[in-house]
Amino acid sequence: MMTDLSSALMICLPELILAVGAMLVLMLGAFGGERSTGAATMFSGAALIAGAFAAALGPHGTLFAGAFHMDQLAAYSKVAIYVASAFAVVMGYGWMNRSNERKFEYPVLILLATLGMSMMVSAGDLISLYISIELQSLALYILAAFQRDDARASEAGLKYFVLGALSSGILLYGISLVYGFAGSMGFTQIAHAIAAGGANHGVVFGLVFLICGVAFKASAAPFHMWTPDVYEGAPTPVVAFVAAAPKLAAMVLFVRTLSMGFFGAHEQWAQVLLVIAVISFVVGAFGGLMQRDVKRLLAYSSIANIGYALLGIAAGTQLGVQAMLVFMVLYMIDVTGFFACLLALARNGRPITQISDLSGLKGSKPGIALAITALSLSVLGMPPFSGFWAKFYVFKSAFDAGLWQIAIAGLVASVVAAFYYLRMIKIMWFDASPAPVDGSPSEARWIAFACALFSFPVVLIALHFLDQSAGLAAASLGLH
Amino acid sequence: MSPQTLVTILVFAPLLGAIVAGLFGRRIGHVPSMAVTTGLLFLSCLIAWINFVANFNGAPKFLVELLPFIQIGDFQSTWSIRVDTLSSVMLVVVTSVSALVHLYSWGYMAEDDSKPRFFAYLSLFTFAMLALVTANDFMQLFFGWEGVGLASYLLIGFWFKKPTANAAAIKAFVVNRVGDFGFALGIMTVFWMFHTIRFDQLFPLIPSMLNKGWDFAGQHWSALDLAGALLFVGAMGKSAQFFLHTWLPDAMEGPTPVSALIHAATMVTAGVYMVCLLSPIYEHAPVARDIVIMIGAITSLFAATVGLAQNDIKRVIAYSTCSQLGYMFIAAGVGAYQAGMFHLFTHAFFKALLFLGAGSVIHAMHHEQDMRAMGALRKKIPVTWAVMMIGTIAITGLGIPEIMGHGLGFAGFYSKDGILEAAYKAGLSNPTANFGFLVGLAVAGLTAFYSWRLIFMTFEGKPKWGAHPHDDHAGHHAQIESHSEPDTHGHDDHGHGHGHTPHESPWVMLVPLLVLSVGAIAAGFVFAPYFIGEDHDAFWRGAIFVSANNHVLNEMELPAWVTWSPLAVSVLGLLVACYFYLLKPELPPRIAAQKGPIWTFLYNKWFFDEIYDFIFVKGAKLLGDLFWKVGDQKLIDGLGPNGFARASLEGGKRVAKVQTGYVYHYAFVMLLGVLGLLSYGIWLAS
Amino acid sequence: MTIGLAHYLAVAAILFTIGVFGIFVNRKNVIVILMSIEMILLSVNINFVAFSAYLHNIQGQIIALFVLTVAAAEAAVGLAILVTFFRNRGDIAVDDASMMKG
Repeated sequence: MMTDLSSALMICLPELILAVGAMLVLMLGAFGGERSTGAATMFSGAALIAGAFAAALGPHGTLFAGAFHMDQLAAYSKVAIYVASAFAVVMGYGWMNRSNERKFEYPVLILLATLGMSMMVSAGDLISLYISIELQSLALYILAAFQRDDARASEAGLKYFVLGALSSGILLYGISLVYGFAGSMGFTQIAHAIAAGGANHGVVFGLVFLICGVAFKASAAPFHMWTPDVYEGAPTPVVAFVAAAPKLAAMVLFVRTLSMGFFGAHEQWAQVLLVIAVISFVVGAFGGLMQRDVKRLLAYSSIANIGYALLGIAAGTQLGVQAMLVFMVLYMIDVTGFFACLLALARNGRPITQISDLSGLKGSKPGIALAITALSLSVLGMPPFSGFWAKFYVFKSAFDAGLWQIAIAGLVASVVAAFYYLRMIKIMWFDASPAPVDGSPSEARWIAFACALFSFPVVLIALHFLDQSAGLAAASLGLH
Repeated sequence: MSPQTLVTILVFAPLLGAIVAGLFGRRIGHVPSMAVTTGLLFLSCLIAWINFVANFNGAPKFLVELLPFIQIGDFQSTWSIRVDTLSSVMLVVVTSVSALVHLYSWGYMAEDDSKPRFFAYLSLFTFAMLALVTANDFMQLFFGWEGVGLASYLLIGFWFKKPTANAAAIKAFVVNRVGDFGFALGIMTVFWMFHTIRFDQLFPLIPSMLNKGWDFAGQHWSALDLAGALLFVGAMGKSAQFFLHTWLPDAMEGPTPVSALIHAATMVTAGVYMVCLLSPIYEHAPVARDIVIMIGAITSLFAATVGLAQNDIKRVIAYSTCSQLGYMFIAAGVGAYQAGMFHLFTHAFFKALLFLGAGSVIHAMHHEQDMRAMGALRKKIPVTWAVMMIGTIAITGLGIPEIMGHGLGFAGFYSKDGILEAAYKAGLSNPTANFGFLVGLAVAGLTAFYSWRLIFMTFEGKPKWGAHPHDDHAGHHAQIESHSEPDTHGHDDHGHGHGHTPHESPWVMLVPLLVLSVGAIAAGFVFAPYFIGEDHDAFWRGAIFVSANNHVLNEMELPAWVTWSPLAVSVLGLLVACYFYLLKPELPPRIAAQKGPIWTFLYNKWFFDEIYDFIFVKGAKLLGDLFWKVGDQKLIDGLGPNGFARASLEGGKRVAKVQTGYVYHYAFVMLLGVLGLLSYGIWLAS
Repeated sequence: MTIGLAHYLAVAAILFTIGVFGIFVNRKNVIVILMSIEMILLSVNINFVAFSAYLHNIQGQIIALFVLTVAAAEAAVGLAILVTFFRNRGDIAVDDASMMKG
């Protein structure tokens, strides 16, 4: 299928906006210095919003010999990713202002990482898959170590980098094997090869490597080891970013790769994913029990939630993909709200990180305490909060696909995980406050409230639209 | 504006009021939040009447689909507003009573310091109730069902510093859960049978499902009967029917306007409404209908007998409500859904009137609720007396049959006679309906007795309040400051103003009483021909389904004794009450003092609370103790909760231990993961 | 003996394994880790080029070039992070980077 250049450029307009935007912001910063951080932030936010509109309204199609797909799935994910990134830009700017570290590189790096994710959800062959993952990861490594004079942040960045590079190596090794044994890089050609010759050992070997590499980016166990340390060490707005958008991008990448390229090997990869899912939600549930740091706790929570989302993919049905998409977006909103709450809390100018620091929050910051409560209840899956609907969808799809043993294991894990959310709620509402809490910055507060309100009651209305667009997105893969 | 827009405003105005008063009540102050909620409710009420009149004049039924709610496969639920005759009637009832109760509360709650909260709850309740009655599928019905339950819980426990109020709120909640469990099972049964929960899709499918069921123990069990019975369990909980009635009398711990709105006129009638709404199911579920009749009849008899011996003015009316709800279920069970709805309609007026009147009495008596401490109040509070008289005449169904076509009387007369006649007609072919008729007749007499007893004890005889020691009044009053039945007059005039003598209530409380009196007098006379008389087909227009062999509402020559006996028993009740409480007022205390078995049985409400306490509370405790001491601590705790918790914490420690912080360990774990998955994948492939 | 595809793959696999072991057996120096990463990427490149020649398909060589570029970028980012780490800790021993655990 040949497309002329102008319509091709229209199809990848969101990426162009981000790429050009990132370069312009870089120029702006390079010439304007630290003073231009505000302008850079605004410009980046505008670029992300413009990108979101372009992704939502722009034309669909397949470009560059199948390397780049713009379809409903990509549009859905891109809009969600761009909006989450825009929140991260806003939260980061407020945070930089408070810590007196106005760096224009922050929005640039966010834009570049977002560009990477944006290409991840559109990747149609192994080359674009690898390049987009690397673009995202490299930007995230730097963001994790963004607080240059903080020992924890640089340690977090180092660990993230080393393990990330290892995972890239594993991923790449897998790509090379798949390429060698299937004979091509393009997903459609790979699918043809598997359909013609079946999934031979070489392909399965490569596929498992590839899955492991992507699972690292999604922080699924046993490739999750970086997650708690990076969450704890990296600056909070960066974690808010890392915890939301890249997860969705990695999951969509999973879905597209596995169902477009490797659907012939569904039996194998579904089993592998199920193992990863079970390990993830078990590790996430149990690992969180002993945590004292809120961010670490949320890291384990995210590992568990990725496990649940993987159930949707493992189901291998259109309903499963739809469930995963709904789940991920609802989870992104919850987690963004959580980190916004953390950003809104400080004591004597130091951010609150320990769970015990939250004690007595109901007295000093009732609004934030209420928001954290709502978000906790949501993440633990209490009806009628958004997290309940999210879990309901994936568990239902897992049941429908006959994975009921796994779904029950997931339910048990979420009961275990409920403990740490409930403990947090108990500490906030029933324990005495040690010292007053500082006034909270407005941008974080508003994002926190908005996310909490979304988790209930807005979700009751929004769910319908979300469900519909996720359904369309899932349908574009042509599964059953 | 189109009717669609109007009803949307109607339904959402109370929600808006609840949000404004609930979230911003403290900021905008008491009077604005009261004014907003009350004003919006009167707006709703106005629209409801406009809609009712339009419907009356033949406006077609319609459905407003607002937003999709849950849509998973066949399980399609939409937020919608269904307007037909049935829901129009309910809209009028709910908004009218609610608006009047809002107004009444201006006076009644004048001294409470959390008025915005109270009004917000009232409006929230109204919204939930409107959502319930306008539901077009089971999901929204359930939402409204739980919403009114929540509002009821909040309002019963409104004075949350009173332990009894909290206990009553929890009791109401728990007992209703039992009913809701049945209700949810009923909904699932319906969904399982029809693969839809939308009423408009479901009802046409019913004829095709008549034979669906199981053969069990040599008999055929119809699935429709099962669905009907399970759904009725939900109705039993909400409408306080026998076995699940215990929460309603305790719910009187809430403020009196709440009792009038929720526990007399609207929420408790939701069960009746649901049965009428689901008439297409019940028409084809004879067993379920027999259950409805039996439970309704037993409830009405039980509650009426208990009402005979109660001394708390509100509890008497509460048991009366319970009993009248039983009446409505008898009507629905014998197939006279229209008569049930009609009784619901008239009952809303006179029962709200009686409750609010009782509130006015309580208010006048400075929060004395014991009727033994009242008496001779007629001269002191003449308006209250007059409206209570009207309410009592209406509830006892005094009226003369067979003149002016339909007879002549107050509201209750028409609806109660309608029910009894329908039960009689149905009884010609169905013995259960016969039982319903006989019980209904007996209850009419009992109702007359306890209602007049209330009037006589409260308003006639010698005043007992003068001698009533008020030493504790100061302390009592201090309590009012925070949480107790409020008092409209200032504390200063309390000491030296009119002292402890009863006094008439302010006009904001009397106006709603007068309005409701008009309803209690005229609602029957005006609407009887349309609800149950010759025009009923034109009035309901299919909103209630009546199968071809159901003739309970058709004209039929009745024996004279059937027509006249309700009047006879009701007059008999009046005379007996006269004898005991006017002519020989010293008799009842003596009977009570003897503590005879019947009196004790009735006074203790058939010992239901004690039995439940014994079986469920004590029994559960005993069982719990047994398990606890025998096997739990060692066996189940060891392996179950505690063991699980310990294992979880162990697991948590393990996971944390793996997380050493060393990069090479992390990389090693990753590598192990790759190797493990690789072997698994290859093993799968070969 | 002619050198066939299998030989190339074997060499690449050995190099890959050495690289991976270099990451978690080495406990001294983070620089060694960076070198190991480089080794992994290059071993994969051998795979790509070998497959490309074997399949007569150009895509393998294209991605090999991409991998080289990315490896350079990765080395730059890695060294930069290492520098900040060194400035905070005054050391680049692998064991040192264990403030956060549990």
